[in-house]
Amino acid sequence: MEGELNNRSLSDVKVLDFTGELGPYASKLYAGLGAEVIHLEPITGDPLRKKGPFYKGEEDNIEASLQFLYYNGNKKSLAVDLHRQEGQEIFLKLIENVDIFMESCIPGYLDSLGLSYDRLKAINPKLVQTSITPYGSVGPYKDYPGSDLTCSAMGGFLYLAGIDNDKPVRACDNQAYRMAESYAAVGSSIALLYAQRTGKGQFVDVSAMESVGMALENSAQYWDLEGTIRRGRGTEAGSATVHPCKDGYIAIVAIMGKNKIMWEPFVKWMKDENVEECEVFEDPRWIEPSYRRSDEGYATFCRIFHRYTMQHDKMSLYEKGQANRIALSPVSNGKDLLENPQLKHRNFWQTIEHENLDGGKITFPGSPYAFGDLDWRFGFPAPRFGEHTAQILESLNYTGDEIAVFSKEGIVNV
Amino acid sequence: MSNFEKALEGLVVCDFSWVGAGPITTNVLGQCGAEIIKIESLKRPDILRKGGPFKDGNAEGFERSGYFANRNPNKKCISLNMRQAKARDVAIRLIKKSDIIINNFRVGQMEKWNLGWEDVKEINPRIIYVTMSLQGTDGPHKSYMGFGVNLNALCGLTAQACMPGQKPFGTGTNYTDHVMVPTHTLFGIMAALLQREKTGRGQTVEVSQLESAIAMKPIDSMLYAANEEILGGQGCGDANGAPHGVYETVGYRKWLAIAVFTDDEWTGLKRVMGNPSWAEDEKFATLSSRKANEEELNNYIEDWTKDKYATRLMKQLLAEGVSAGLVNDARAAIEDEHLIERDFWAYLDHSVVGRTLYNRAPIIFSETPIEMNTAAPLLGEHTDEVLSGFLEYTDDEIDQLKAEDVLT
Repeated sequence: MEGELNNRSLSDVKVLDFTGELGPYASKLYAGLGAEVIHLEPITGDPLRKKGPFYKGEEDNIEASLQFLYYNGNKKSLAVDLHRQEGQEIFLKLIENVDIFMESCIPGYLDSLGLSYDRLKAINPKLVQTSITPYGSVGPYKDYPGSDLTCSAMGGFLYLAGIDNDKPVRACDNQAYRMAESYAAVGSSIALLYAQRTGKGQFVDVSAMESVGMALENSAQYWDLEGTIRRGRGTEAGSATVHPCKDGYIAIVAIMGKNKIMWEPFVKWMKDENVEECEVFEDPRWIEPSYRRSDEGYATFCRIFHRYTMQHDKMSLYEKGQANRIALSPVSNGKDLLENPQLKHRNFWQTIEHENLDGGKITFPGSPYAFGDLDWRFGFPAPRFGEHTAQILESLNYTGDEIAVFSKEGIVNV
Repeated sequence: MSNFEKALEGLVVCDFSWVGAGPITTNVLGQCGAEIIKIESLKRPDILRKGGPFKDGNAEGFERSGYFANRNPNKKCISLNMRQAKARDVAIRLIKKSDIIINNFRVGQMEKWNLGWEDVKEINPRIIYVTMSLQGTDGPHKSYMGFGVNLNALCGLTAQACMPGQKPFGTGTNYTDHVMVPTHTLFGIMAALLQREKTGRGQTVEVSQLESAIAMKPIDSMLYAANEEILGGQGCGDANGAPHGVYETVGYRKWLAIAVFTDDEWTGLKRVMGNPSWAEDEKFATLSSRKANEEELNNYIEDWTKDKYATRLMKQLLAEGVSAGLVNDARAAIEDEHLIERDFWAYLDHSVVGRTLYNRAPIIFSETPIEMNTAAPLLGEHTDEVLSGFLEYTDDEIDQLKAEDVLT
């Protein structure tokens, strides 16, 4: 049974994760497929533990950060002070048997502790070290203090989230960081396969500012090919627009470009529903993007379509629209997603009991993918600060007495 | 031990994918050394070839789209008319030599060609078979349709991306297609390849676009489940920082992003502002009090920024340890010294549109290259080369296939 299970996982891959607010989703992807992930925390604790929102609003509880609980599920916590010689020895012993070391330290920090990649590679030539930082470990901005917002801004992504002269708005959940993390997971896996085949590890540099460059859609090419600066969409009637309804909003793509065939089912739907004035939509000028973009076109579309949408809730509009082969979807909030029938059917949400929250239950997103020969799992709950320190030190052949001394001297937290 | 120069050297991808998320996935594999054979047909070209922008604004033909181009550098393109029965034989020859086969068609299309997993694994048991459905292959909404904008809305990205109390806006792009879906697909492919090193077998990788998107934005649902709170528009704010936003400066659409989290950063910002008396008010003394008075705080900050140069303020703030960044438009990002220094952008020469702009994947490896070698392929550019070389067809066989409308 155990062997069977191991075959359906990446259990032979060992990841050491020394990241904080930026970085943890990268190794979570490995943990989700059964790799062993040790989350190395500084002796002061992972700073993410202090970031809200918190379970039941418990902002002084370092075990209650919802972000920490999600991004560090199925990881073991090892709390070590790398500024102490004994702490460094523990770290170096771990490095001997790790496949991937992920870190989000300020560039140069590990070097200053004498823990440069060259030193680690001398100990473990197959080691993949992946550095995930706001601006990367090379380049003129590498030492800039960074944040998710400034990375989104500098990389050109934030600018797109607005129209005309409006200030841009920001995507949720620190997407600049998430982009860097997901590319860090990918880069690490490519380097790992290479290391397995050749015996050669390498250093992988991922920058959040650069990662947002993947999300510029066609805006860089708009400048390069046509000399124009584009921003977001949102006022071309029926072509990627958001509309109010009885209990919120829906998004609709009833036409793209001059695609008349796409538009016809929408017109038929409006007629079938006897929406007042809907015969206006039969006019061929709706096939012209320029008309749909005009103030008159957009206002007319909204006036007529809202007569219908305002009578219905987002889920019934979703179902009716889809039944009419219209690309219409609800603008979901967190509650909508938990109640979404498709996600329920697929048992997407994972509810896990957390002993260290007095048995409180937390509901998490589930598997992003399914495999023929691999199983995704949420795994065990995110660890208490230093929860696995003793267990990991024992596996490195430290004695109980030694561990007790380390703990007493504040070199580790158990 | 083999001595590969490129990380994914030797891997071959049979690429039936089109439009967004699929081609972005194979683009990254190609940059790392995999050979990507993109399958198109004049009867069914990648529709992104007709998506703007176009070189000089001229949309004629299939070769001028920059939208298409940036997703497809380094690839070889063969033209294969799958409506002809014999096209399947060509596909099979390619599948036999491939490590990965990927499509992002609607569920059932590959099966219609008898190229579903059950068939393909018989042809090549080592192949990784990748599909990318919108919402999974089972369940009440499995056939629901949607574009990037729909998926953004459905997965919960759009609801919070607006000013508080305003209509939801979103990212302004098909964001899910560009990062969330391709990166999960890439990681799934790599996990399957790592598994194959042990088992010798291929397997299926099924990505649900909706589920992979939600995995990268967990908090709205977690928070509702835990505390019954609903998150609304956040503007450019952040629950853990204040001030945290974009502020007007001099110039056309010139905003400066400033993000302050810690007391030290707040002190740094105050210093750059010249320690104004308003900032000493108790209502701005702690993060929680700044959050409680955020609108007023933002007004004060903007009063200070609005007649100054963003570039100058940014330098001053960074020097005080405060994260600050220009809200760059695409041109500014293209001309940004840091991205240039890191060789993020590449200009590749193309027989129809000349030298145009691409970007590489955001990964720098110390030992293996990320290569930007050739511009996006012309439709069917490599049909003869791939068939006669890699697939070992004779010239006569190729002529015969052409005569039978298989290679159009």
